[in-house]
Amino acid sequence: MYKCAISNKFIFFRNEKLSIVLFSAEWADQCKQVLDAMNELNNQSKSTIQMLNVPAEDLSDVSIKHQIEAVPTVIFFKNGSAVDRIDGVNIPSLTQKCRKLVEIEESKPNLESRLSALIKKSKVMIFMKGSRNEPKCGFSKQLIALINELGVTYDTFDILTDEEVRQGLKKFSDWPTYPQVYVNGELIGGLDIIKEMHVSGDLITTLKA
Amino acid sequence: MRRSLGNFWKTVNQRNFFAPTARMQVYTEKHIESRIVEKLENVPFIKAVDQSDGCGGKFHVIVVSEKFQGKPLLQRHRLVNSALTEELKTIHAFSQKTYTPEEWEKEKGN
Repeated sequence: MYKCAISNKFIFFRNEKLSIVLFSAEWADQCKQVLDAMNELNNQSKSTIQMLNVPAEDLSDVSIKHQIEAVPTVIFFKNGSAVDRIDGVNIPSLTQKCRKLVEIEESKPNLESRLSALIKKSKVMIFMKGSRNEPKCGFSKQLIALINELGVTYDTFDILTDEEVRQGLKKFSDWPTYPQVYVNGELIGGLDIIKEMHVSGDLITTLKA
Repeated sequence: MRRSLGNFWKTVNQRNFFAPTARMQVYTEKHIESRIVEKLENVPFIKAVDQSDGCGGKFHVIVVSEKFQGKPLLQRHRLVNSALTEELKTIHAFSQKTYTPEEWEKEKGN
């Protein structure tokens, strides 16, 4: 997934929610129309949107990255990725795209309740890179091999397929690395802990608890 | 309805905007060790091993501390992780072994 982390002055693209960014220039009057429309949309919406006005020529690195060839240009960002853009003044399109993105955003369950449900999805739940048949990191691979050996049933979640879960779960569980193993919705640990518990014999009891 | 940024792109093309950016932070074994010692204070033994062949992205650490006394593994690892909050954002593979001084004495005996 493409992440923009380039601007020397702004870090708005890392915003986790929706950002609507206007690339403008003071000498181009057309930009004001778009700016007014964005302000209006901002007043109407209850939350979730971050509106930004970027002076295209001053923030050159950002403008280059997003191929801003003329102003006004509006780019829609979601979770740090550009998802849509409007070249030129097109207020109806701006309004429509904005409403649609907000709707999608609001219809999603919030991240926290999603994570709480995910860690309890199966009695033993493993968050890893890749799948059980195709682990994509050495630690995940070792973990799966070890758990398979014990013959317990488990479910896995591939964090490489969902950046929101990948970053969110680290904060949620206050655990900075993957893989992570949960039993009955409780974090047991990463590979090191699982290995040590295996050696001490505690692992099988914990997994079957 | 649009105004071209022609002049802007002219200047952009004259400058080298695509020069390589600053290199990612590379941590040394010493750095990792001192961060953990700072956090845990009384550390009779610590050893960090860079297993990355120089890219600084893979470490194994052995930490001995009084502070692990009476703490389950999860809490011990959390403690060490909390000393390396910044570092673990770029280190992509990190493993650790934690011992209390008594456990460490036994381990050495083996």
